[in-house]
Amino acid sequence: MSPSSLVNRTFRHWSLLPAVLLFVALTLYPLVNLVRMSVSTIAFADGAETWRFTPGANFAQLAGDDVLWSAIANTVLFVVASVTVEMIIGLALAIAVAGIVRGKTWIRTVLILPILVPPVAIGSMWKLMYNYDFGIFNQTLAALGAAPVNWLGSTSLALTSVIVVDIWHWVPFVFLILFAAVEGLPVDLLEAARVDGATRWQVVWRIMIPLLRPAIVVAFLFRTILAFKVFDEVYLLTSGGPGTSTELINLHLYKVFFEQNQLGYGALLSLAVIAAIVSFLLVARRAATAVRAQ
Amino acid sequence: MKLVINIASTARVLLCAAAVALAAAPAAAQKPFADVGKQPPITIVTPSAPWYPAFEKAVDLYEKQTGNSVKLDVVPFVGILEKARNAVRSGQSPYDLLMLNSPWTVEFYEGGFLSPLKEIDPAFDVPKEVFRYGDSGYWNAQKRWRTADGGKLMAYTPLGNVQLLHYRADVFKQAGVAPPATWKDVLAACTKLGQPPGTYGFVARGEKGNGIRYDWHSVLMAEGGNVVKNAEAGDFTVVINSPQAKAAVDLYIDLLKRCGPPNYGSLGQGDVIQLLSTGKAVMGDVVIAAFASFDDPAKSTVVGKLDTVPLPRGSGGASGAAIGNWNTVVPKNLPDAQKKAALAFSRWFLTYEAQRAFAEAGGIPNRSDVYTSDLAKQPRFRWFPAYLETQKFAEQDLGFAEGAQVDQVLGLRLNQALIGEMSSGKALNLAAKEMEEMFRKNGRKTGALPPLPE
Repeated sequence: MSPSSLVNRTFRHWSLLPAVLLFVALTLYPLVNLVRMSVSTIAFADGAETWRFTPGANFAQLAGDDVLWSAIANTVLFVVASVTVEMIIGLALAIAVAGIVRGKTWIRTVLILPILVPPVAIGSMWKLMYNYDFGIFNQTLAALGAAPVNWLGSTSLALTSVIVVDIWHWVPFVFLILFAAVEGLPVDLLEAARVDGATRWQVVWRIMIPLLRPAIVVAFLFRTILAFKVFDEVYLLTSGGPGTSTELINLHLYKVFFEQNQLGYGALLSLAVIAAIVSFLLVARRAATAVRAQ
Repeated sequence: MKLVINIASTARVLLCAAAVALAAAPAAAQKPFADVGKQPPITIVTPSAPWYPAFEKAVDLYEKQTGNSVKLDVVPFVGILEKARNAVRSGQSPYDLLMLNSPWTVEFYEGGFLSPLKEIDPAFDVPKEVFRYGDSGYWNAQKRWRTADGGKLMAYTPLGNVQLLHYRADVFKQAGVAPPATWKDVLAACTKLGQPPGTYGFVARGEKGNGIRYDWHSVLMAEGGNVVKNAEAGDFTVVINSPQAKAAVDLYIDLLKRCGPPNYGSLGQGDVIQLLSTGKAVMGDVVIAAFASFDDPAKSTVVGKLDTVPLPRGSGGASGAAIGNWNTVVPKNLPDAQKKAALAFSRWFLTYEAQRAFAEAGGIPNRSDVYTSDLAKQPRFRWFPAYLETQKFAEQDLGFAEGAQVDQVLGLRLNQALIGEMSSGKALNLAAKEMEEMFRKNGRKTGALPPLPE
């Protein structure tokens, strides 16, 4: 093989080198450093870091961390509840809006407004609405003669209140993805089904949803990953309280890492979260493959 | 004639210009409160707190008087700690002065990130009129404790927040009730004067975390309780689950449940201030820095109606108040010229005149002579006597390296006891166990009391 021929054949690999190096620098290096931190206790003295290798202590702390286990349970509940409702409402809205003839663009624009609002504004706005004495929800209840509700201060309601905010915030995201997919469905197929006597529900359930499956999986995966990472809403609304009823894993991680300055243990928690999300994605992918095979 | 007119016109113009210049720059003509000389520009990171507008005005005055330039980076409370950490851990700090909340100072002192102030300028000192605030500005590295006894001067207090009991003087007067002197008085008064859901008798923070922990700590002090046996002497035997501490928890729960709104378990500082300023609360435990907003017609419906007394005494007659002051420090990773410029501003800010101007702009001055000046006669400074009295017994809380972790542990367990998830005894026992493990892991001399009945 001539040198020029060799260069031509391997160029596509060499041309990727800058991107690979960047990937290594920005992803692998921080990850390796995180692993190193997770088995260490890091302190500061004389303006410099000191590292001690203490894997046993960090893992023992992980095992004995009561708040962490509450946070994991709450996070799983939060993810399942919020993503399920968001997918159902998002899909329903996508199908409904796609069927509108007049005003579709305007309706679509209004529906996506919540995802344009900054998270801090969302947290502040909903915290005011949920306010026990002055919030609009309790003011409305008072006007109707009902007793005020302790939306954010009741252990049985606080997580639900946070989930409602998350649903309000992220349904538009699911809607957008699925709406684009619905708009791309073959019209002749749907019309043929109607001509053959299928009811509207049958068209949706037996034709549209199976055809939308790829988009549904994408929306589901995106929302699930983002739901596992939720932080701003719960931080602003409840800071994890009352008790541990709204303690979520990212919030706990933030407190350990930034408020308590436990860098080593915080790194271990971060790895645990990454492992949990990756495990979930692998399980979800296997389940999706099994469903497709059926 | 034309020449005379021209000369007269010119003279008139010059006189007018001089008059305008004099009128427009009174501060420039004013003698500076301290002779600090010409300094390079400095940058201060400061919290976006209720007292920030007053600090901004003080900085403006410094610039006008001295011609030196100061840039302020205003950061919300939750972000300022990270900015300070990044600043001191970087090659060169982008800030010449950092403001640290008192609990954060130990991390920075122990980490060796700061320049002791006298090493920058041996002649620098904090005037004797400035309150000590529990010596939070000193660091004894051997004892690992904040004390002037053998400690280096690392910081001074730009704003000394303490909690005071705020109460509706008009409501108390109408009912013929004296302002509360003990926590039992607060309970009695709240039952008599509160009319829920219209008005609540007493409000304080119950939210999980630093909120409930900090507000409760003053009650703990008043009841004679403590977190560890003697941190200054290096004895970290955990005593949080003592009978005195349990009495303090039970009292605090009683106060919040009987006197406050139903959402007592999630009340934060903003909520407490809101309830007081809208007239929905008759009494409240809140930082004095909020007082200016209570007298601001744009923010309050009870202008001129709230007054203050020191936090009430406990069942044994002891007083307790946790200090929540800010501390101004100089990062080590700065050129010498910048450090000196930072101290120059600090020297100016600590003068009587500057602190008086700070108070007049709505700030909390740190000098005792301001509190005993003619300002005390003005109605807007009616809180001065309570603040002065509190300085006699207020203490720093959690002044050790594990303070932030202890704050989180107690903040959770106290909240769980408050909302009824567990008894006060169990909450304190759990907190004690977690704290003992923490201290043991950090190599402290520690131990525990026998558990409380749960």
